[in-house]
Amino acid sequence: MSDSQSSIAIDVQNLTIGYGSHVLLQNLNFSVANGEIFVILGGSGCGKSSLLKNLFGLYQPLAGDVLIEGQNITTAVGAERQKIMTSFGVMYQEGALFGSMNLLSNVTLFMEEYTQLTRPQMDLLARCKLDLVGLLPYESYMPSEISGGMQKRAAIARAMALDPKILFLDEPSAGLDPITSADLDRTIMDLSKNLGFTFVIVSHELASIYSIADKVIMLDKGAKGIIAEGDPKVLRDTSADPRVHQFFNRIMSKEAA
Amino acid sequence: MGVSNTTSTLTSCTDKRPAASWLQVDSSSAKVVLSGHVDVYSLQGVWTQVRQEQDAWLAQSTSSGKALVFDASQVTSLDGSGFAFLIDVEQAQQKAGAQFSIVGLDARYQPLLHEFEPIASLFPAPVARPQRSLVVSVGMASENLLQDAAGLVSFTGHLSSDLAWSIRNIRQVRWGDFVSTAVEAGINALPIVGLVAFLIGVILSFQAAIGMKQFGAVSFVGPLAALGIVREMGPLITAILLAGRSSAAFAAEIGTMTVNSEVDALITGGLSPMRFLVVPRVLAGILVAPILTLYADVVSIFASMVTMLAYQIPFSNFWSGMKSAVDLEDIGSGLIKATLFGVVISAVGCLRGMQTGDGAAAVGISATRAVVSSIVMIVLVDGIFAYISYKTGF
Repeated sequence: MSDSQSSIAIDVQNLTIGYGSHVLLQNLNFSVANGEIFVILGGSGCGKSSLLKNLFGLYQPLAGDVLIEGQNITTAVGAERQKIMTSFGVMYQEGALFGSMNLLSNVTLFMEEYTQLTRPQMDLLARCKLDLVGLLPYESYMPSEISGGMQKRAAIARAMALDPKILFLDEPSAGLDPITSADLDRTIMDLSKNLGFTFVIVSHELASIYSIADKVIMLDKGAKGIIAEGDPKVLRDTSADPRVHQFFNRIMSKEAA
Repeated sequence: MGVSNTTSTLTSCTDKRPAASWLQVDSSSAKVVLSGHVDVYSLQGVWTQVRQEQDAWLAQSTSSGKALVFDASQVTSLDGSGFAFLIDVEQAQQKAGAQFSIVGLDARYQPLLHEFEPIASLFPAPVARPQRSLVVSVGMASENLLQDAAGLVSFTGHLSSDLAWSIRNIRQVRWGDFVSTAVEAGINALPIVGLVAFLIGVILSFQAAIGMKQFGAVSFVGPLAALGIVREMGPLITAILLAGRSSAAFAAEIGTMTVNSEVDALITGGLSPMRFLVVPRVLAGILVAPILTLYADVVSIFASMVTMLAYQIPFSNFWSGMKSAVDLEDIGSGLIKATLFGVVISAVGCLRGMQTGDGAAAVGISATRAVVSSIVMIVLVDGIFAYISYKTGF
């Protein structure tokens, strides 16, 4: 991992995002290193999910650039954009699995489109991906037949379909019980360690953040930007910013209770 | 096409050598060399190639003691797909009772080797889809039909009791929903109902006039067309348009609510989905259908009058001819029929919405079923009505 750590997976330069004339976050600058588990956190409504959608090109930012493995996704069009889009995988908040297909078909769908592998090869690949997230026995289940936590894991398997280097996860642990959530954290860490994935995760579950994050940025609605950046445990213990302190503290006191 | 170009250049610019290549040493030992970035793109093609070579080699005479070595020392990066390839080759070896070993795999990938064990579970036996016999299929279809009929009967019962309830508790009916549904199903349907009614009026008159002209009876076209429009065409056009627009809309709307557990939320909150969702829509249907029908009658008859001008029948002649043929009873009969259509259309739409299964596709199925069932019911009601008219002369 140390050899790839030096290079940058995602570079964000002077990014301003929002809707129309309404600016959500402005002038953001940060970068995500290869192989890192990078967590975007902040209170509800501060623009975490919107930022994520701007990073992977679903929304067009108001200003600034997002470079994914050196290529600018904000200006890319056509085939070039398509190529950048297949270099990462996305897990949406509710999983967003295709309801009319079973789990195996959900994973093979993108392979059918982008590779010339044979059917048995694609099925085997998809089974391996499902195995990595612990869902091998459920390959023929429909998304509606499995639990929310399983849907999220299946969505991660689908995001990995084309062997991307980067995975974007939108609130992976939201709405999950602590055990399922910890299982999911385990899966994320294993994937990061064994296959060298770079993760960009939106979350506000502190328990999960402490166990998985290499680096966090904290967003604030009032400041419209990043108010803290670094290792979450260091931030918890040393940050002088009252907002950061409060964010970590509130949860801390709850945990102590 | 563009995509395949991109991927092939991708593999060729990252590494000149193929991601996997087959080296046969002799009939009892062989080697697969992996190199460069082994991922889903670089493996396409070579995967099949290596496996074919392997199968040919395994099929050679000396069956015992065949050993395959997987050389991973030249790998720069290995993705999940690389492991799938490895497992595929290993499985083929195992099946043939031959040996398999991996050398030179980077230490960071070692833990993943055990992740997929036992690999046999990645190759499930194809599940044979159970064949249904004709008897079973017919039986199941009949059962579905019976259940559907039972559902319809119980829904009709519930609806009747809830409509009766709404008369007794008139203040508790959700009039806001009623108004918005009536606007959507009624006022917003005016342009399309008007257009179709006008065209039908024109077509009906022209078709009739062509035939009647041969007998010099063009002056009877007006009364004939008007009677047909008032008793049959007006209610029918309106009903079919309502089925297409509103029945489908009700089914999709309530269906989406069912999928999103909103209907469950109503039930657990102690609110009856029948009273909350169905009653306002059915009441709106009852109000809207006859009004739209009356409007369609007027537009259609006007279209007929305009058309007959082409046959030198002035408005006044048309009018007096129509007055002698069409009386209030005919109009009333058409409107009563339209009201029944309105009940049937909105009720069937709501019923199909409530019967929605799981997922986005289920909403589409419900909307389709709503339109189909509505039209079948319209024809059924129309038939019953025609029989009653024939028997009673009404």
